[in-house]
Amino acid sequence: MSSIFRDIINIISLVAIPLVIFVFLGWGIVRKVKVYEVFVEGAKDGFQVAVKIIPYLVAMLVAIGIFRASGAMELLTTVLAPVTTLIGMPPESLPMALMRPLSGSGSLGIMTELMKVHGPDSLIGIMASTMYGSSETTFYVLAVYFGAVGIKNTRHAVPVGLVADAAGMLAAVWIVNLLFR
Amino acid sequence: MLNYIWIALIALGIVVAVGNDVSDEVQNRYRNGFLVDATVEIQKSPTALRSTWEGELVLSAEAFNVLYPTHSTAGQIRQPVTVSTGGEGGASLIMPVGESTPAIWKEMAKFASTRERLTGTVRSFRPDAVSGTAAIQFVLEPIRFVKLKAVTQAAIDYAATAVNISLGLIGVMALWLGVMKVAEQAGLLNVLTRLLTPVTRRLFPDVPPDHPAVGAMIMNIAANMLGLSNAATPMGLKAMEELNKLNPKVGTATNAMCTFLAINTGGLILIPATAIAVRAAAGSANPGIIIGTSIVGATCATVAGVLAARILQRLPRYKKAMEVTHE
Repeated sequence: MSSIFRDIINIISLVAIPLVIFVFLGWGIVRKVKVYEVFVEGAKDGFQVAVKIIPYLVAMLVAIGIFRASGAMELLTTVLAPVTTLIGMPPESLPMALMRPLSGSGSLGIMTELMKVHGPDSLIGIMASTMYGSSETTFYVLAVYFGAVGIKNTRHAVPVGLVADAAGMLAAVWIVNLLFR
Repeated sequence: MLNYIWIALIALGIVVAVGNDVSDEVQNRYRNGFLVDATVEIQKSPTALRSTWEGELVLSAEAFNVLYPTHSTAGQIRQPVTVSTGGEGGASLIMPVGESTPAIWKEMAKFASTRERLTGTVRSFRPDAVSGTAAIQFVLEPIRFVKLKAVTQAAIDYAATAVNISLGLIGVMALWLGVMKVAEQAGLLNVLTRLLTPVTRRLFPDVPPDHPAVGAMIMNIAANMLGLSNAATPMGLKAMEELNKLNPKVGTATNAMCTFLAINTGGLILIPATAIAVRAAAGSANPGIIIGTSIVGATCATVAGVLAARILQRLPRYKKAMEVTHE
């Protein structure tokens, strides 16, 4: 059942981009849009948007880099481990849950390491990979998306992102304990 | 709130780094100034052109464990070494760090004066021509302030990474902004938008259902669910630009933006391809087993995020931030 679902999604992912480009530009021709000119007109904004993101992303990534290099994560893990063990989260998975919103490459590294040490099909391995798949790198998304339109006052976006992350991590712990314990 | 989290990450990082360095210094984790007794199996003796001895440093596991009790090892340490006995300032040794090097020495080499190798001062070096070995006593160079050096390096490296990531976006950004512009002019996004109006009107009540932002948001969410992050980011940024056109207060996030971000940070993806690839590489019997659990996790994250956005946007402090002051 899950393999059929997987095959279908993989095929859709494979054809999606060529198909979207074809249909969009083709529809443009049908509707007598000067496709090449309009495409170039739209594409020229790509550079400005990318450059606009730079200061926001530098600010965010430097702070995350300092935090990661200092060993503060180990400290936080030691402090929080007794609490998270109560809800069925193995202490080994805690760095994964803490790193996921901060850094994509960092959480990928932790996930790979956990699988190397505990095995991919162990409870810890399954939980780490579920956590990885259950959330996005919140702070990266915030910096890039708000950076592109110059938003400095993010209002409730940060608490909302953290609520989503916490819910994702807790749901991952719950479902993995339910199915694989 | 971002202000506080940002400064907390930096301040906590620096304070913890200093704390770790002080504790390393007090415990002398790197055994600065300790005299090491070892043997060198000589492979190349000095010649007229070269005044160095080359060979392999051999240190028994017991001797190593006495030196570094927190990093005990089971096997004998064998490590390539170059000893120069001539020269001014006494004899010295250089150990390039490789695969077989003990973890603590690898860690030290990262922060040594010359990267990827350890240097030291040789106190005595007694070669024995018959056995081809030499007794050596040496002191490794002192290693200090490891975490502070790491923090400095990280700050510089990550600043460069941020620029690389941003500039790396230019190509895909241009491609998708071009395609989206054509779709917009052809009126295709309107068709898509109309189909999903019942959903989008509830999620984003402040956005007119036929606004171009809605089309871009739908494309972004669809691309994210299919795991096409290369296409998803440009469409998401396009959506943000369109949402910003409806923004009465430049520089402040609107309710619609925060809800849209909540959906994005929830990260609902139908096939978590990266996690599956890592599982397969680690030798999993069933790498795809996490598809179902990930969908459950991400759905909870997305629903919680959207609900939180709906609740928090009503709080007086966030409402106040949105008020436009007329002059």
